[in-house]
Amino acid sequence: MPIEFKQVSHEYSPNTPFAYKALNEIDLELAEGKITAIVGATGSGKTTIVQHLNALLLPTQGEIVVVDKTIKSTEKPKNLKALRKQVGLVFQFPEYQLFEETILKDVAFGPKNFGVSEEDAQEKAKEALKMVGLDETFYERSPLDLSGGQKRRVAIAGILAMDPQVLVLDEPTAGLDPQGAKQMMGLFEMLNKKHGKTILVVTHDMEHVLDYCDEVVVVERGKIAMHVSKEEFFEDASLMVKANINPPAIIRMRTMLQEKGFAIPNTVLSLEALVKALKKGVA
Amino acid sequence: MKNIVLGRYIPLDSVIHKMDPRAKIIAMITLLVAIFIDTGYIGYGIIAAFILCAVFLAKLKLDFVWKALKPMLFMLCFLLVINVLVLKTGYVLVDIFGFKIYSDAIFQTLYIVIRLVLMIIITTLLTASTKPMDLTIAIEDLLSPFKVIGVPAHDIAMMISIALRFIPTLLEESQRIMKAQESRGVDLQEGSFKEKVMAILSLIVPLFVSSFQRADDLANAMEARGYNPGGKRVRYKQLKFVLRDYIMLLCVFGLVAGLIATKVTGIL
Ligand SMILES: Nc1ncnc2c1ncn2[C@@H]1O[C@H](COP(=O)(O)OP(=O)(O)OP(=O)(O)O)[C@@H](O)[C@H]1O
Ligand SMILES: [Mg+2]
Repeated sequence: MPIEFKQVSHEYSPNTPFAYKALNEIDLELAEGKITAIVGATGSGKTTIVQHLNALLLPTQGEIVVVDKTIKSTEKPKNLKALRKQVGLVFQFPEYQLFEETILKDVAFGPKNFGVSEEDAQEKAKEALKMVGLDETFYERSPLDLSGGQKRRVAIAGILAMDPQVLVLDEPTAGLDPQGAKQMMGLFEMLNKKHGKTILVVTHDMEHVLDYCDEVVVVERGKIAMHVSKEEFFEDASLMVKANINPPAIIRMRTMLQEKGFAIPNTVLSLEALVKALKKGVA
Repeated sequence: MKNIVLGRYIPLDSVIHKMDPRAKIIAMITLLVAIFIDTGYIGYGIIAAFILCAVFLAKLKLDFVWKALKPMLFMLCFLLVINVLVLKTGYVLVDIFGFKIYSDAIFQTLYIVIRLVLMIIITTLLTASTKPMDLTIAIEDLLSPFKVIGVPAHDIAMMISIALRFIPTLLEESQRIMKAQESRGVDLQEGSFKEKVMAILSLIVPLFVSSFQRADDLANAMEARGYNPGGKRVRYKQLKFVLRDYIMLLCVFGLVAGLIATKVTGIL
């Protein structure tokens, strides 16, 4: 069930003085069952790309194949509900979408919209809340008087409860404390490894990319500048320089040591590997 | 929703854009008054020609004006239906199986529509050619003579400018919330009545919550920076009438005075 962009362009407010071409004929193929990171400077078009995946935005040119559906610029897509059930999209700052009286109801809102019965929806909501680390004391509270981080969790649970096959997250950890951010990324990794979900995550945090993702897509001014495996991306420090990205701490350390003359292979991507390589060098 | 043109500023470089916003507001009010005076088709024709010249001078596309008018179509149909049902004067235009449509129904509707269209074009012209900030400064200036009788000119201008400032933000916000709920399976087009109510609730509640939050944040931010509504303040941007403003006002006053004169003397 791959996802494929074919020569996709997107222009905001076409035919007005405000027209802006946010995507320019991009080609992109996303593998199934992997965690792919989408990185790039602010305003480069990451959000625009991911909003195409469940047809919230339609391409103004080209076509997109998602799951078993083709979204073309030339025709209005039908039966979007089925697509949106399969592709769950968590927005950048999703806390603004909460509206029900209780957290449980809010999380159950998604599955109910897709025709799940009341009881089953509640069951799914409880499961999803547990996954994001909110226990039953939260069920009956209002989602509106939670902290920002808690709201974020509720919003993510709201999508998880729909049990989509493809999970798309637009900066899910922005504004979370480091511990909470790690928990979230860990959750996505678990969903990927244990439940085989395809995961697409937009992020600015290179540490997360290094720790959790399989592939990296670099977006630059509405174009795909790079699409490589994580290993390729972090092994070649020049790629990061080219993409104008600040490498994670461990990669910076590796580069620094290499510059000082230590014989450390580029394949070193973790602290353990670095220690091992250093020991070997000394011995 | 993206194509909302009502009240939107279009940054262009034209004479109309450069005019003093106070002059433009005065001209607009004068023209609106003229439209309210029943000047007959010829009078409206003259006003329409005048306004179209202004639209042309402002370099606005007719397409844009048409978009501003489009939301009116619904009201037009509504008016037409009411008038056809209610008005039974004049001569019979059409007779469908005993259901008679009278001439007055059509003409009355046409008359109202012409006035509405003219008014909308005039106001659109003002908002499209004037930055919201300039507009509020102008309103404050025009209201300031009334300060002596206790009109809080500055507060009113501040409120208007804040409201104007947040229109695009709220539109963006509602679009975003709509997208977010659509991702959760909300379907605004289809579904039963109950589902539709739920869909609308899922938009309105978050919109309200975030609006109140925004208002609160803004108030705090203003206070933190020492805003005091009663404070005496000076302005960076100074408005000044120049020749083109006088010429424009003269044209407008001349036109309206002429229309009133012909109306009073009964020439037209
Ligand atoms: N509704 C819109 N109308 C017009 N232009 C838009 C709209 N949304 C985004 N843009 C423009 O499109 C470009 C890409 O925006 P996008 O939101 O995809 O960026 P992004 O990569 O997600 O950035 P960030 O990291 O800040 O979230 C930006 O330059 C932005 O100004
Ligand atoms: Mg974004």
